[in-house]
Amino acid sequence: MIAIQTSDVDIGALIAAAKEHGTGAVVVFDGIVRDDEITEMELEAYEEVAVKELKKIAGEATRQFGLLHVDIIHRIGRLVVGENILIIVVSAGHRKEAYAGSRFIIEEIKKGVPIWKKELTRDGGRWVPGDHGHGKGYH
Amino acid sequence: MQWYDNKENNSEKEMTVKIRFFARFRELLGTDIVIDVAAATMFTHLITTIARKNPEGYAAIFDENGTFHEFVILMKNGKRIELTDAATTPVADGDEIAVFPPVAGG
Repeated sequence: MIAIQTSDVDIGALIAAAKEHGTGAVVVFDGIVRDDEITEMELEAYEEVAVKELKKIAGEATRQFGLLHVDIIHRIGRLVVGENILIIVVSAGHRKEAYAGSRFIIEEIKKGVPIWKKELTRDGGRWVPGDHGHGKGYH
Repeated sequence: MQWYDNKENNSEKEMTVKIRFFARFRELLGTDIVIDVAAATMFTHLITTIARKNPEGYAAIFDENGTFHEFVILMKNGKRIELTDAATTPVADGDEIAVFPPVAGG
């Protein structure tokens, strides 16, 4: 499942579904709204392009690391401290590939998927500065 | 404004394009701006003209020389356009143009 959505997901159900035949390891990455003296976080995406980029990253991770299953769910909209922002679930035959594949996916998302975060505070808000890699994730 | 010529004065066919700004640029300039432009309008010219409606929005995208800040990302129908090519890349009828700051997902 590759999605950008406002709603949360059932991580337990994703783990169960990731246990494809031959699975020896499942790695879950769960990115969470941190309590940086903010009230909420607002997330925005260029959805059509972002979903395409996420699918491309999932395909690349599957090829490079021999993953058996990949889920990437990135949430948008307003989220409060403690809520899930990004859930990545991968399965592989062995832990090494599962960890490496999960790490690859999160780093690629940070590099080039058009999603932005605004931290909302009592005084207003501030856009989280992006990594100025000049969109090197795009092709 | 030049890109917004009256139809009767413009022998070339007019085209309709959509401009989408995201994140801080959206807050300053709005988004999903559907506009008629004259044929052979270039990317930079179009974005410059729209950005000028808000000085803060203009300054977020362009420097004092009217050049794109190097961190700005441009897309045409979901594909990257290099900033250095934007001044000589014409928009086409039905194009969706996206302008946004560095991404910060994850």
